[in-house]
Amino acid sequence: MEWSVPDRQERYKASLQGGEGPVSITSLTRDGTEVSIPETSVEAEGKPSRVTVTVGGEAKLAHVTRTGDTWWIHMDGRAHEVLFHEQGSKASANEGSLKAPMPGTVLQVMAKEGQRVREGQHLMTLEAMKMEHKILAPKPGGITKVHFSEGDRVDMGSSLVEIGD
Amino acid sequence: MSLEWMSDAPSPFSKVLVANRGEIAVRVLQAAKEAGLSCVAVFSESDSSSLHVETADEAVLLEGDTLEMTYLNGGSIIEAARSTGADAIHPGYGFLSERSDFASAVEAAGIRWIGPSAHAIETMGDKISARSLMIESGVPVIPGEQVPVEEGADHLGALASAAAKVGYPLLIKASAGGGGKGMRSVSVPKNLRSEFEAAAREASAAFGDGTVYIERLLKRARHVEIQVLCDSHGGAIHLNERDCSLQRRYQKVIEEAPSPAVSPGTRDAMGHAAVTAARSVGYVGAGTVEFLLASNGEFFFLEMNTRIQVEHPVTEMTTGIDLVQKQFEVAAGLPLGISQQEVSQNGHSIEARVYAEDPSRGFLPSVGELAVWRPPSGPGIRVDSGVREGDSVTIEFDPMLAKLIVHAPDRRSAIRRLDNALSSFVVLGVRTNIDFLRNSLSHDAFQGGSIDTDFLDSTDPSELSGPEPDHHTLVAVAAAAQRLGIDRQQVAGTESVDDHTGHQGDPFRTLGRTFP
Repeated sequence: MEWSVPDRQERYKASLQGGEGPVSITSLTRDGTEVSIPETSVEAEGKPSRVTVTVGGEAKLAHVTRTGDTWWIHMDGRAHEVLFHEQGSKASANEGSLKAPMPGTVLQVMAKEGQRVREGQHLMTLEAMKMEHKILAPKPGGITKVHFSEGDRVDMGSSLVEIGD
Repeated sequence: MSLEWMSDAPSPFSKVLVANRGEIAVRVLQAAKEAGLSCVAVFSESDSSSLHVETADEAVLLEGDTLEMTYLNGGSIIEAARSTGADAIHPGYGFLSERSDFASAVEAAGIRWIGPSAHAIETMGDKISARSLMIESGVPVIPGEQVPVEEGADHLGALASAAAKVGYPLLIKASAGGGGKGMRSVSVPKNLRSEFEAAAREASAAFGDGTVYIERLLKRARHVEIQVLCDSHGGAIHLNERDCSLQRRYQKVIEEAPSPAVSPGTRDAMGHAAVTAARSVGYVGAGTVEFLLASNGEFFFLEMNTRIQVEHPVTEMTTGIDLVQKQFEVAAGLPLGISQQEVSQNGHSIEARVYAEDPSRGFLPSVGELAVWRPPSGPGIRVDSGVREGDSVTIEFDPMLAKLIVHAPDRRSAIRRLDNALSSFVVLGVRTNIDFLRNSLSHDAFQGGSIDTDFLDSTDPSELSGPEPDHHTLVAVAAAAQRLGIDRQQVAGTESVDDHTGHQGDPFRTLGRTFP
């Protein structure tokens, strides 16, 4: 299995030792290259979602839980996510496509197929929670596909607009 | 329980229906119970297992899929009060709280309305009539141009000429707007049309009224508001100010009392203006008069909120006055029982609004299950929340999950207490703004008390991002947690079982294998 963190392309693999007591990390690779990390082990606390993490000899409490393929970790006062992938699964497909960040309704569509857009250009307006959210171009390019029109309902993760080079 | 406090009331009541949901419904229902009153919740289908329903003595389902059919359905709510024998209705904030027609309908049904009169709500709710009344009463107002915008007519001509007189930058405000909805700033004339249309759409979606008006946008101003309390015997006092300058797109994020920018002289003058504003509409109950405080110390009336505010706890913490209990007393016809001289100011209180939203994705609302929800606790820490562990967060309702309020002897220690409480607030399963709140608190401008209402919108996001996380350690912890079967431990009584392959502790178990 492989791991990644949100908004990053790097894939990690971890080798582990243990299981009945603490689990220690014997090696960690990033995109196939070994990275050096301090001696790290994790032990269940016997209470739901609580673990003791020992990094370089320093022990601290963390809260961890899993929803779907996301591991949520609260440590050192902040919450983080780590994503779990089956080995060899592709990085996010459809590079350049814009996905609906949340379910909602399409209010306005500015983008037209064939149109050239600059980075940050306003392509679409979604409404959710009675607030309007602008969908902006993440990169310059040509619009290859507009999937929705005004008034359409969109689900979270739906591809809204596709941008080619 | 006998109601000692109610025994001398001219118009007593014994059972309160709370026409709201979420944290404010929980807050009011708890206050009703503490006051010895029976309490009734209303709920939509999707809220059937919500905390506010659990908190109430009784709960009535409002049938329907839309807000208009449920929490905005005055007829069904009055019917719910009738069927349960509730003789008073508390509206909370939002929803029907500032709808004068609902206040009138409640009174007409012979049910006590815990709020100001329909006349006061209507006058203050219409920004144009409120403004004229303030001018008449001698309360300072923001320089601006009143633009009567007729429904359906050609808005743009009238709007553009008024905008030219007011000058840019300006604010377009829906007359029926509030809470940041239906309000848009326009910095250059070419954006007037699109921003006007957006404001009108938001206002009609949220409030069912598309009328708008414009005013000059004051730069570098702070948002300072005064809590007022008025009884039905002519008593009117103020409970000092709250500073709500830390806003994002006009949505308050952090509020505090007292304001780091208000001198005793300004406090007195603002308090006096707020009481004058309240008296001018014959206000009864708890209300808030919002002002913009300019950098030169001048202040201007912004609007009056004729209801309990989200940020009311910071006033409760510093004055020791329970505002919801006072609302009950005033609604029962009792006098305030406190003079202006008796209002004290004790220490410093700060509230942070914890939202289910994702600062790394333009603050879009986030959804999911609150797989882990551990609010902080301890001396001087208060959490007002309407959710609990395991609840689902959807986009159906406002994304505010909780208000974290701290109280400490002074501002510095209140900031430290809040930061520490935020750092131990564990929310997993849904992305929140907790990190963003911590980053805002630790920014020099906030620490120094020198921010204005543009601060969050004009500050480079990199200044408000936290330390770069240690990805290697996080991946290591996730991988180890998966091996330990932490997710499966949640199921009561089951042990961590490896039901796939190999045996526990086999170092080769996970190498090169794919687990289902």
